[in-house]
Amino acid sequence: MFFIQSLLSGILTGGVYALAGIGMSLVFGVMNISNFAHGDLMMLGMYLAYFAFTLLHIDPYLSLLLIIPTAFLFGFIIEKVFIHRIIHHPHQNQILLTIGLGLIMSNTALLAFTSDPKILTTSYSSSAVNIGGISLSVPLLLSFAITAGITGILFLFLSKTTTGLALWATSQNREAAQLMGINVAKMSAIAFGLGTALAATAGALIAPVYYIHPLAGHTFLLKAFTICVLGGLGSVVGAGVGGIIIGIVESMSSTYLSSDWKDVVVFIIFLMVLLLRPQGLLGKKGEQ
Amino acid sequence: MKQIIIIAVIAGFAALLPLAIGDSPYFIGVLISVLMMAALSSAWNILGGYAGQYSFGHAAYFGAGAYTTMILISKFNFNPLVGMVAGIIVACIIALITGSIVFRLRGHYFGLASIAVAEIVRLSALNFDFTGGAQGILLSDVSLWGMDLNSKIPFYYGMLLVLVFTLGIALNLRKSKTGYYLQAIREDQDAAASLGINLSFYKNKALLISAGLTSVLGSLYAVYIRFIDTSAVLDLRLSIEIILTAIIGGVGTVWGPVLGAVLLVPLAEMLRSNVIGDVLVTQGIVSENSGLGVFLKGNLAHAHVLVYGIITVLCILYMPKGILGLFRRKK
Repeated sequence: MFFIQSLLSGILTGGVYALAGIGMSLVFGVMNISNFAHGDLMMLGMYLAYFAFTLLHIDPYLSLLLIIPTAFLFGFIIEKVFIHRIIHHPHQNQILLTIGLGLIMSNTALLAFTSDPKILTTSYSSSAVNIGGISLSVPLLLSFAITAGITGILFLFLSKTTTGLALWATSQNREAAQLMGINVAKMSAIAFGLGTALAATAGALIAPVYYIHPLAGHTFLLKAFTICVLGGLGSVVGAGVGGIIIGIVESMSSTYLSSDWKDVVVFIIFLMVLLLRPQGLLGKKGEQ
Repeated sequence: MKQIIIIAVIAGFAALLPLAIGDSPYFIGVLISVLMMAALSSAWNILGGYAGQYSFGHAAYFGAGAYTTMILISKFNFNPLVGMVAGIIVACIIALITGSIVFRLRGHYFGLASIAVAEIVRLSALNFDFTGGAQGILLSDVSLWGMDLNSKIPFYYGMLLVLVFTLGIALNLRKSKTGYYLQAIREDQDAAASLGINLSFYKNKALLISAGLTSVLGSLYAVYIRFIDTSAVLDLRLSIEIILTAIIGGVGTVWGPVLGAVLLVPLAEMLRSNVIGDVLVTQGIVSENSGLGVFLKGNLAHAHVLVYGIITVLCILYMPKGILGLFRRKK
């Protein structure tokens, strides 16, 4: 029973991780950039949900309708102002630039909102449904359902619309896509906007069950990377699967080992994947 | 030869500095931080700058030195120098494990893997009992050859010595076979390999030198402050500050990291101790009780990391080769 309980709550948390991972993977696929500000973008999503709830009294899940377009626009602008200028720079410069942007975001949040952690308590924050002796947290169930919905919409967007197909093409081969008349600069900005929107959504979805703190992004950044590498950097489906796996691993190691060591287990898996299968579980062979 | 004379002159000048500024613990403290960051960044530069292998996890080696020394002194009453040597060994073991994993990888993967290793070290120190866990390790008393270790002066000269030693190695390496091989690896790994350079041997060599020096600085820092915890010596933030210092001065040059430390550390110190806020308030420009005054007093001290972020972004966008790189281009 413990096992099934642990497995199910792992899958539910993993769904939200998957969303953050997909955002990062999309940015990596289209732009070939590791976005070290991803965790801080998630943190901004958490605060957006918090303030929408406390100031405007909008339910955190409903506030996604506001958060997604806001975050998309924010990411689009960040790409246009900063990221596009270093798209052909060496990797380490790209990493440092996004680290710098992340530091600016987290420390601005620290100045504006102080370091006191905030808690978003909804009427259903601690409620759970009981199915055959297994209790599942209501906010996590709702988050998972929303995650599944958003992932589905994203997949349809990528595979059915012209813009989506252009994004796919750019991520497959940037030069060839450009030669086919795709505006790759615009695709980069859209990809970064989508990545930001997904990060912020993931942040908003976990806001009701986590402490909201300016430096919360740090933990999620490393998790998102692990998920991407596990699924194969750049693979959207892989990131989805990777997220669920990491959720399960965390939940299992909390149950059977100790919650203090769950992050260590995640990083060891990360290194094992890099060693044994650097292209990821579902990734294609290539750059390592 | 010219460079060695420059090092000697600057070191001589630095050695006389405490006599000139007298017995101000605050200024000596800032100077120690400058020397330490200059040495840390120079040590990182041997791997990151010469060989082009950007390690984002150098805090692991700093922490290895600091933790090993502190555990040996506080639990077994060892001589601090023995602790320092043991620290080097621990750091080199971690480096060898790291090297065997990360040097197979390139580009994005290398940076990510170096962070993962450092995070495993950090979380282990946080969760094990013998490392003091979240409380860290506090040292009440320490002695070495009857020196007055309550004074900051011995640590000033200690840091200076390590910095001069590191710069000596960095200078020496640049004109040596190893140095040329490392630069070849940085410019084009595949070309270097096809010319018969053993990539993994030379990368590991650079990593071991770099990790060993970093660990010595960790030991020195731990005995100087007498208190360590994971957020002080193993945090990702420290790794990033080390890289940033090198970037701002000029990666891959001997003097870039020193220049970066001389500029960045006092700036961070000023923001941290809130000099700007204090001056604005005492000069009567901002009233202490006004909203802005309270904000400046209370929050601006947190802003030094924000300033680091802004400097990083500007530096990468406008002078990715650092300050020394700017001069080189003009020539």
